[in-house]
Amino acid sequence: MKRTQTSLLIFLVLFVLGAAGAAYAKPWWMRGIESNETDFLPPDVAFRVAARIDGNVLKVRWVIADGYYLYRQKIEVKAESPDLVVSAPQLPPGVVKTDPYLGTQEIYTQQVEATVPYTRIDAGAHRIQLKVTYQGCAEAGLCYPPITRVVFPNAGPAPVAPSIPPYPWQSIAIIAGAFAFLLAGLVLRKGRKLDVPA
Amino acid sequence: MNTPGLRLLGVALIVLLGIWAGLKTHSNRSAHQVRGVAVPAGTASAPTPSDSSAPEAAMPHTIIPARLPDFSLKDLTGKSVPISAWSGKSLVINFWATWCAPCRREIPLLKTLAAEWAGRDLQVVGIAVDYPDKVRDFAGQFKIDYPVLVGDQDALDVTAKFGMESPAFPFTVFTDRRGEVVALFVGELHRPQVDFILSEVQDLNQDRVKLPEARRAIAEGLQALAEKQAG
Repeated sequence: MKRTQTSLLIFLVLFVLGAAGAAYAKPWWMRGIESNETDFLPPDVAFRVAARIDGNVLKVRWVIADGYYLYRQKIEVKAESPDLVVSAPQLPPGVVKTDPYLGTQEIYTQQVEATVPYTRIDAGAHRIQLKVTYQGCAEAGLCYPPITRVVFPNAGPAPVAPSIPPYPWQSIAIIAGAFAFLLAGLVLRKGRKLDVPA
Repeated sequence: MNTPGLRLLGVALIVLLGIWAGLKTHSNRSAHQVRGVAVPAGTASAPTPSDSSAPEAAMPHTIIPARLPDFSLKDLTGKSVPISAWSGKSLVINFWATWCAPCRREIPLLKTLAAEWAGRDLQVVGIAVDYPDKVRDFAGQFKIDYPVLVGDQDALDVTAKFGMESPAFPFTVFTDRRGEVVALFVGELHRPQVDFILSEVQDLNQDRVKLPEARRAIAEGLQALAEKQAG
């Protein structure tokens, strides 16, 4: 009897984890209640910018959300900290986008990295700060005004694009659900014997 | 008190806590996003860039006014025009900029609307948040024949009055003839959406529906249209 109660307790705790994870991750059976199909992201979520020091150059990387793009010609990188001199950013070729109302533009999707040669004339007395300006739109029909941000390049590996989906609870929900079914099966099976044909 | 009873009560509490935590976290995440469809006046959130160091910070909820706020902006000749110049008419107020591709794309639709409703109780007004010279050139090139007001900081102040402190473009405000804000649509307009909203505005103007019903019908109708487009 005690063992059955313990199994039931474990089952319920795992169910809680599953329920919490499911509510967090918004699984398929909850979609459609409030459709996000036409929602737009805030600009700092649509376009994430980070910078790093890579030897004698600075690297500025934008991670661009699905369905969004940045205009190549609107990207600017300037020195913000004193005694820092930067050259014009070197950008890879973009994808050519032709809009009947705006003409031909080069755009970036997914991610882009600019290489910015720099010189420090203060022997490292100040922390490097860059002022980056960029502008982009959502494919669904919304454009953000130019965005200007100050970034602090760090020495180290490149910022990694966020893994998708960003819901740790989703994995926990799936694992917990599987365990719950396993346990439920064991509890139900307890004391029964398989009917083996003679 | 028996122990199994207490244990079950504890488990039930954990279950409820877990579900509550999950739902609360989910609703917080939803608040980060901006509705692309019409948002009911008085309750909606608007796109607001968060600080770059904390992009996941919850976006502040801003309030879309229930009624058309009072403001004045310059027209393309430099004359100050109050929005009350069109009081008594339903308004389609389109906020745009010349650098914005979707804004440019929807100009022909707005011109068509203006022509269809000419001499009746609906007025299309463009508000360009841009340099006056650029807007004047663009309006000439695209033969915009509905009133266009223009401004930089003063126009941004107007967008803030509609709950769009850091706006993205285009967005369009629909009012009824009494000056009630019926819908605020963020993103590029298309004909089916405009027709749907304007049919509700007409019903309001003729007292066939009440404002809350019209707002609800618009929210549901536009969602259905979006799902139809997506599917």
